[in-house]
Amino acid sequence: MWKTRSGVSDMKLRSSIIFLFVLLGWCISIPAGSGSFSVSPVWAASDDVVAVTAEEQGTLSDEEAAEPALPEGPTAAAVTEDPSDADFEDEDEPANLEQDNGNGVPALADPIEPFNRAMYQFNDKLYFWVLKPVATGYTKVVPEGARVSVKNFFTNLAFPIRFVSCLLQADFTCTAQETGRFFLNSIWGVAGLFDVASMEGVNLPKQDADLGQTFGVWGIGQGFYIVWPVLGPSSPRDTLGTAGEFFLYPVTYLNPWYVPSAARAYEIINDTSLRIGDYEALKGAAIDPYIAIRDAYAQYRYKKIEKKRLKLSAPAPTPAPAESIK
Amino acid sequence: MKKHLILTAILAVILFSVPVYAATPLETIKVNVNQVLEVLRDPALKGQAAKETKKERLRAVYYKMFDEMELSKRSLSRNWKKLTPEQQQEFVRLFHQILENTYADRILAYKNEKISFDRESRVSPTQAEVFTRFFTSSAEIPINYRLTLVGGNWKVYDIVIENVSLVQNYRTQFNDILSKNPPEKLLDILRKKVKQS
Repeated sequence: MWKTRSGVSDMKLRSSIIFLFVLLGWCISIPAGSGSFSVSPVWAASDDVVAVTAEEQGTLSDEEAAEPALPEGPTAAAVTEDPSDADFEDEDEPANLEQDNGNGVPALADPIEPFNRAMYQFNDKLYFWVLKPVATGYTKVVPEGARVSVKNFFTNLAFPIRFVSCLLQADFTCTAQETGRFFLNSIWGVAGLFDVASMEGVNLPKQDADLGQTFGVWGIGQGFYIVWPVLGPSSPRDTLGTAGEFFLYPVTYLNPWYVPSAARAYEIINDTSLRIGDYEALKGAAIDPYIAIRDAYAQYRYKKIEKKRLKLSAPAPTPAPAESIK
Repeated sequence: MKKHLILTAILAVILFSVPVYAATPLETIKVNVNQVLEVLRDPALKGQAAKETKKERLRAVYYKMFDEMELSKRSLSRNWKKLTPEQQQEFVRLFHQILENTYADRILAYKNEKISFDRESRVSPTQAEVFTRFFTSSAEIPINYRLTLVGGNWKVYDIVIENVSLVQNYRTQFNDILSKNPPEKLLDILRKKVKQS
């Protein structure tokens, strides 16, 4: 059951690991501190701004000496050209508008936008042509309660990912809570089918921890935006996280060779069945769905890491009240 | 007659004291969301036929709850000034229509999920954020409302769903379009979008 994998997948694994290390190298060579890199080609959404090199920035800032520190590009220039614009000196978000698009979230660079847009199209079709029809059919056969249980089961199984992430973040309340949850749900929750730990009275909700977030907490920047086929929005950092999670996820080690993929596919269908309509709404609300999803991903990941950093940097009082606030 | 007078007096006191008493941001959200739920749960409004009536009543709550102007301005941020006043007006109208077209159906699909109103935090005397959670069968979705004090009332100008700010999300998209095109083109895209749905 838990033996090593067959030679073929070993080869595949090895090449993907090498690829990932190349990506990691790229990522680490970027000045850390999450914000610093992402701020530069902020507006790199249009093809003509994609590769704003340092020299270009230099020449441009000669012309516009007033704002030399800012990323240059049509929007950046346009956005800053009106310094008298006092209306938007937001009292609550000072100076954010130029630097990082407001809201304190640095925009995510997108140097490989054409590739990403193609992958986005692929995933979009995958959803509408495959995932949604299958999940809809599945919904008709399996009642919602059972599907929620399946989801709980997989979530419980992914415990090592959250446990190791919490540990690597040195977030020990998180580690303890996850461990407690795992035992409670595995034993009283019938192998994780029921999330008894989240119920009122027990109050051990699932910890929001993953490896990509851990790297972020360590100060590794997001890098740039990548859309993977099937897996969706990511970045070099989060890709590395996903790869690490692959090894921490017990399902990976199941035999024979096709079981892990089948289990993953089933998990994806099950998850989709509980979220039908969400993507449609997101897409329907968007003016440019590709940009909307990229921005949502950037915001989501950024805030997830910021929240963790805040939690970790907060002076740890007695653990009890900290948990009750959570 | 005398009774009438007293009643009128009481009514007047109630009516005129309302603007003086400013509800806290959390209370404001609670009241408005509960009004939305009331509409959605109204047994008299069942089925497809009542859908328009429901939308009509939700729109009334929306106007009371949101500061549409602020929401639009923030979504365009500095680009707002690039639009002529007429363009700005049209933008607000189109943006409203797009939001309504997308979210009305989502809101009408509500199935008695639990909502918890957790807390508020004052960012400044005129800015606040209210934290709520929405419980679906399988997940807990944090929804935050950002409010600003307008004429003694707290009004929503941004919604943050699962850490994603609606205003910022649109700002990124509008910025992307306006970095390559004049404002008229943006309005054109919005007009088409409204017509589609």
